[in-house]
Amino acid sequence: MSGTESCVRLDVLEHGHVARLTLDPPGKDNVVFDGPLLRDLDERLAEVEELPRLEGLILCGRSPLEFCYGADVDALASVADPSEAELVVRMGQEVFGRLFRLGRSGGGPVRTVAAVGGAVPGGAFEISLACDSIVLTRDPSTRIGLPEVKLGIVPGWGGSQRLPRRTGIVTAVEAITSGRLYRDRAALKLGLVDRLAWPGDLLRIAERFALGLERPRTRRPRWKKLLVDRNPIVAGVVRTKVVDAIESKTGGHYPAPLAAVDLVLDAPNTELSAGLEKELRVAVDLLGSPVSRSLVGIFRATEAAKRLGRVDGEKVAAAGRVGVVGAGVMGAGIASQAARCGIEARVVDMQVDALDRAVTAHRALVKKSRVPAPQKRGAIDRFEAGVGPQGLGRAECVIEAVPENLELKRKVLADLESRVPRECILATNTSTLPVGDMTSGLVRPERVVGLHFFNPVDRMPLVEVIRAESTSDETVARACALALKLKKTPVLVADRPGFLVNRLLAPYLDEALALVDEGASPRGLDALAKAFGLPMGPLELLDTVGLDVAAHSADSLHGAFGPRVARPGRLDRFVQSGELGGKSGRGIWITEDGKRRVNPRLGERAAGAGPELSGDKDTILDRLLLPMVTEAARCLDEGVVRSGEEIDLATVYGTGFPPFRGGLWSWARSRGAKALTERLDRLHDEVASSDEQRAERFACEVDLARLLR
Amino acid sequence: MTQSSTTDVVLAAGLRLPQAKAAGAYAREDVGHLGSALVRELIARTALDPSEIDELIAGCAGPPHDQANPARVIALRAGLPRSTPAYTVGRNCASGMQAVTSAWEQIASGRAECVLAMGVEVMSAYPLVYNHRAVSFFSRLARARTLGQRLKVFGSLRPSMFAPRIAITEGLTDPVSGMIMGSTAELLARDFGITRDDCDAYALKSHLRAAAARDAGRFGDEIAPHLPLSSDGPSLQSDDGIRADQSREALAKLRPYFEKPDGVVTVGNACPITDGATALLVTTAQKARDLGLEPLARIRDHAWSGCDPARMGIGPVHATAKVLARTGMELSDMDTIELNEAFAAQVIACERAFASDDYAREHLGRDRALGEIDPERLNPNGGAIALGHPVGATGARLLLTTAHELKKKGGGVGLATLCIGGGQGGAVILERAS
Repeated sequence: MSGTESCVRLDVLEHGHVARLTLDPPGKDNVVFDGPLLRDLDERLAEVEELPRLEGLILCGRSPLEFCYGADVDALASVADPSEAELVVRMGQEVFGRLFRLGRSGGGPVRTVAAVGGAVPGGAFEISLACDSIVLTRDPSTRIGLPEVKLGIVPGWGGSQRLPRRTGIVTAVEAITSGRLYRDRAALKLGLVDRLAWPGDLLRIAERFALGLERPRTRRPRWKKLLVDRNPIVAGVVRTKVVDAIESKTGGHYPAPLAAVDLVLDAPNTELSAGLEKELRVAVDLLGSPVSRSLVGIFRATEAAKRLGRVDGEKVAAAGRVGVVGAGVMGAGIASQAARCGIEARVVDMQVDALDRAVTAHRALVKKSRVPAPQKRGAIDRFEAGVGPQGLGRAECVIEAVPENLELKRKVLADLESRVPRECILATNTSTLPVGDMTSGLVRPERVVGLHFFNPVDRMPLVEVIRAESTSDETVARACALALKLKKTPVLVADRPGFLVNRLLAPYLDEALALVDEGASPRGLDALAKAFGLPMGPLELLDTVGLDVAAHSADSLHGAFGPRVARPGRLDRFVQSGELGGKSGRGIWITEDGKRRVNPRLGERAAGAGPELSGDKDTILDRLLLPMVTEAARCLDEGVVRSGEEIDLATVYGTGFPPFRGGLWSWARSRGAKALTERLDRLHDEVASSDEQRAERFACEVDLARLLR
Repeated sequence: MTQSSTTDVVLAAGLRLPQAKAAGAYAREDVGHLGSALVRELIARTALDPSEIDELIAGCAGPPHDQANPARVIALRAGLPRSTPAYTVGRNCASGMQAVTSAWEQIASGRAECVLAMGVEVMSAYPLVYNHRAVSFFSRLARARTLGQRLKVFGSLRPSMFAPRIAITEGLTDPVSGMIMGSTAELLARDFGITRDDCDAYALKSHLRAAAARDAGRFGDEIAPHLPLSSDGPSLQSDDGIRADQSREALAKLRPYFEKPDGVVTVGNACPITDGATALLVTTAQKARDLGLEPLARIRDHAWSGCDPARMGIGPVHATAKVLARTGMELSDMDTIELNEAFAAQVIACERAFASDDYAREHLGRDRALGEIDPERLNPNGGAIALGHPVGATGARLLLTTAHELKKKGGGVGLATLCIGGGQGGAVILERAS
């Protein structure tokens, strides 16, 4: 096909009474509203306006389950300045406005119908809202909604104005501030769409709407518009409730949902044109904001991670049956995740009680999950527990999750080699041990890979995929495909001690303990980290990870990198007394009668410290976070991780680094290399006066400026 | 009668779940989950590709009302391909054995090569049913249109409508003779002059043998542990009806359950109501080799036979006579015999009928008795009185136990036989080369 072919096809049907516009850009797998598509749509609309006998217009996609993925996120990411942003937003608004004015609700002569299905997010839904009626494909894959806030922006192509007019303010505010994507039945029930149609009937039914043979379901009655949507008292109550909910959830770090509340609640009392102008202003402002840039960056990195799991561009199939060796918390969690994601999972262990706990935990998780009963039964059925290593003969991937002991893991892998099929990949869920060391003596080391899951497996979205020297490309791809099937984000890392996440966390946690030793208030430290946007403070994190696990990790990282990364022994007194954190009820923090206090084992001074930090908060925060940055720079330099984007992904999904800051690397970049280097130098000198070795974590022998560029 | 087919049909593998007293460990289980958990475990342990299975046949005497064809539900929930057909068979207490003989027939006739045959029963889930007066009340209420009509229907409400029909009691009653199973055993006891002492002694032996077998790890290869639904552990490792500390004195204290005051059947010398499941992989000897499985035993032949419904417990004698005639074997050729223990009285009645020339002449058309059974070879690991009798599963369980006993003995010939409510008997002869 020639490059000049239009992205939008116009067909005239029913003797000229109905026109159909199909979004079908040639040579593009994913349809998005980019410049060419909007321009061609505008041209076709101009042609439609000239059709003399036209009664109805249908807007549809290539197939009933394929319409459009909304705005082009890559284009959004490349928007450089506000004037360019305004151009993009205004162009969409104008094209959609043209469609709207053609329709009856916009005062035009034509019945406009959107016939959409599959994924209908953001801009795709907004153009549908500009039509008189929306017919949605009835299918399990259908998802419709306005997820813009998840990218730190608001709907900018009329969504914030037209949705409240269609559904009323309560539904609209919930839909837009949550960014939720709705299934077919829910969308109909909430009035997001007018009618559902099976895929085979979609165009036929859309045509009935276009010809006026079927009318949109009763629109929101006038009294509701007056008494609810335009009622200042209702709007006031909704505003208070929604704003409170958003603030308690986001800690005030995300401006987009709050801006959306204003836009939506004011919409019924505003002229459409004025509302659209206001929407445009807000959208343009947010588009350039650092929060939006950060969220878009994370979104794109996540999408890029989804393209892992391929060999020569071809997707490899994820395992349909996995085995897990070791029914501890991690093993049980991995098997449970697999079973809930549609994979047959068999967890084996020598201890019956561990298996019982694994099954019980899995069933409890399934029971809590919000899926229909038959799917729950399926998830329970797919989880097998077996005493001893039998029953792995059909597994396509076996993950070992036995205790962190090199000899044990070696033995397990060697034993597995004889039990599993030839094509089965062998993964180790190690957090500290080198994967390469485990492969010695194996017949086929190329099928061994590291898959480092995080605890709790069902909630932590990151998996580090560790490629050992002997690991084959195919094994890596299959491991990534499995991680994706488990609804996790894979990040490819090299087989170096601590891999990426633990290596970054170690100096952060160690520095927190050092700060406590210097007299910083534990309560103040945790509060400071949370104010920065982390889900928990460093000391809380230690308790959550488990002090024994953290101590073990610190030991092994100290062995590999010296005191720069961690100092062993800091937690010994806790581990020896069996106070291991959350799992033993007492750790650095002790919770009694609903009150938390600091464990005196952390030191008299720490236990007696007040809630406030003494000293400059920014300095203390940098003491905590900059060691991660220098370590991340070393990781990039050593090739532990391939890109800064992946550091962002790993820190957001693996450590809870605030997404609105874009991840560790983006945050460092936003500080500027020069300012960062100066700060590091100062902190280095400050720390070096008391602890020469530890101060290394504030030095950066690699070229930070080059790496940040 | 034709001799058995030239095809060698074998039990290539088998497994069962621990059997649990009803309303106990498996109280919250359902047939679909229990059955599929077992099938999954069997497939995993044999590393069998599920698509190798040509058909799944499940025996179930009381399919739950929400699973019209439990076999299909089990097959799908166990992860068998959708293209694999499955059906449920019912021959009351022998449903699990029927599944195996149906599999045998399909394989022998060349219609299948590899069949998963199983028995499964969750007696805990047997319902209470509204009686017909209540049903009529509800249907009249549904039809009433006006308030007046509705009030009139409500006026006809009587407490007696809420007396439920108990599915388990009615299910264990033979509608033709009108006798509940326990009473048919009492009738046999009177026929053969069996005393209460005889029964209690037999029941005690069953418990002690079962306990010894369990403690010796005899069931280790046979049972897969199971963590029941809505239990948070520990998982059930073995049959929970076995009483190692059972005493004659305790048994003697129990009152007759069905016929007071002179009956002999008590809850102590009858099998308990039980939940359980057993699965067997039935295939040809050749196919088993191809799959890399060492068969447990070969199915030599089987026979079904009818008898007096009021004396259903004597069924094994009739079926055994038939299968021995078909194979040209003698009772004394059997190295081990599993004869289901529905009631101690019924087992003793069978022993006596086997040994009776009179019974043989009168009922079996033979001039000589089938022979005496060596008590050592009869139910050497205890039976249903201790292990329980999940009705639809037991037939398959007897075959699995017989096959394992032959394996332990290093080969031989074994008989698995059981009585069937409604007046039938079933018998299967297994053999294993030494």
